[in-house]
Amino acid sequence: MSAGALAVEHVGKRFVTPQGTVTAVEDVSFSVKKGEFVSIIGPSGCGKSTLFAIIGGLLDQYEGRVLVDGHTVDGAHHDIGMVFQEESTFPWRTTIENIAFPLEVAGMPKKERLEKAVHFLELVGLTDFAHRYPSELSGGMRQRTAMARTLAFEPKILLMDEPFAALDEQTRLLLGDQVLRIWRELNQTTLLITHNITEAVQLSDRVLVMTYRPGRLKREVPIDLPRPRSSEVVGSVAFGQLVGQIWKDLREEASRGMKATEGGRND
Amino acid sequence: MAAPQVITPAQRWHPQLLRLATLVVLGLAWETASRFNSTLNLAMPSLLMIAKALFAILFDGKFYQHLGITLWQVVASMVVGGLAGVGLGLWGGLKRRFGQAIEPYVYYLAPTPKIIILPVLILMFGVGSGSKIAMGALSCFFPILLSTLAGVWQINPVLIRVGRSFHLSNRQMLTLVYLPAVMRPVITGVRLGLGMAITGVLLSQIRLSNAGLGFLAISAFQTFQVADMYAILILVFALAALANAGVASVERRLGG
Ligand SMILES: Nc1ncnc2c1ncn2[C@@H]1O[C@H](COP(=O)(O)OP(=O)(O)OP(=O)(O)O)[C@@H](O)[C@H]1O
Ligand SMILES: [Mg+2]
Repeated sequence: MSAGALAVEHVGKRFVTPQGTVTAVEDVSFSVKKGEFVSIIGPSGCGKSTLFAIIGGLLDQYEGRVLVDGHTVDGAHHDIGMVFQEESTFPWRTTIENIAFPLEVAGMPKKERLEKAVHFLELVGLTDFAHRYPSELSGGMRQRTAMARTLAFEPKILLMDEPFAALDEQTRLLLGDQVLRIWRELNQTTLLITHNITEAVQLSDRVLVMTYRPGRLKREVPIDLPRPRSSEVVGSVAFGQLVGQIWKDLREEASRGMKATEGGRND
Repeated sequence: MAAPQVITPAQRWHPQLLRLATLVVLGLAWETASRFNSTLNLAMPSLLMIAKALFAILFDGKFYQHLGITLWQVVASMVVGGLAGVGLGLWGGLKRRFGQAIEPYVYYLAPTPKIIILPVLILMFGVGSGSKIAMGALSCFFPILLSTLAGVWQINPVLIRVGRSFHLSNRQMLTLVYLPAVMRPVITGVRLGLGMAITGVLLSQIRLSNAGLGFLAISAFQTFQVADMYAILILVFALAALANAGVASVERRLGG
């Protein structure tokens, strides 16, 4: 198998809490080919971040297995880079120092790693903000910093958990263009977790729709829009049809999710 | 229509000026009390006498010897108490269960005046610098421990996950994530602790010793050189303010 292929086999995770057992993820199987861009979409609370943490090797005691290039993954894998849903830049480091972080961990000398970080800084369009601290940046800039930091790790597989969830629609669309440009340039296997249909369709080769509680895969939707794409694709008829198709699936799950939360109970 | 703004005299005053004015008023009150009441005159010597005493002390080599001893005792206290506080704080912060077990004790021991166990410390560390340093260290240990503990517990958990996703070794986790993340709360603890260490050292010098600024102040008092005592107090006050400003500037430089 070629380098950078990801497979998830019968993965499940149950959380035991004082209130009872929550099945966050149940029997999820899928694979992402080398260089492919796949999105997982599902309503809030359906277990996306749990799946993300399992694939990234940050959770233990789950069912099933995760494979990279055919080998079972145990713990954090050096081919996998993660971009987290939450604010995750180091507040005591400037943008460039944040981006150089994985290089510092790898023991690269200071001068060399800062030079190398500049490349990723340019890639996410933050050159003018190299020496600012996260507190001096906007939320979108901080997310781009976190993304550049993970890119500097040069993972073969890029996992992103709702990296743009906190942003407005316009910024999100434009960042989507940047993500696609970077993906073309670096040719990384990419798994994007999102709850935004537009984003999923705009970027992906395939979209996997998850059910709400327990989180399972409901459907796989191939996105056969031509590449290279830009955010203008959002206006096309084919795009609208794909969004409509996914929304039909998602709607049912989302309303189930709403009801469950309205009842004040989580299971 | 905008109502005309009423500016009170206090508002027109610059805060620095106001502070100076307060000092002048206090000084005048002091001087008045000192001059016109013979009983108070004993306890409150005239400002001129205090100023004279201050100059005499500043030009006396003996003062610098005592200053040096005090500084050394405070610094040694901070090193011992600070290292112990930060070390135990990191440990208790990382081993959450252990930290939570000891937290209530720390919480209640922190505000207890440590001076009550000075006799024990003297038995353990002798009448010299040892017991003074022990007292200072014990005094600054608690605030530093408490703020380090809180600092570790308040670290954003996602930063730990970032570290794990980049395969940090345990040592890198400590030096690249935990330590920088707790820097600010630790500095705050050091600032609080410094005040406590100075107090602890001076109090124990006052109780039992033959060296240091505390000893100098109390022996001035015991030999009825009240003006000297005040002069030393002023110097101690200046010293504490200077030390505090030093830590504050480190704090500012950390920015963020
Ligand atoms: N550590 C945990 N302990 C107990 N329950 C948990 C834990 N982590 C997640 N859960 C539960 O598992 C379910 C799935 O959570 P998860 O964070 O994976 O959802 P999500 O799909 O990422 O949601 P969102 O889109 O809002 O980020 C939720 O009901 C959550 O309460
Ligand atoms: Mg999530």
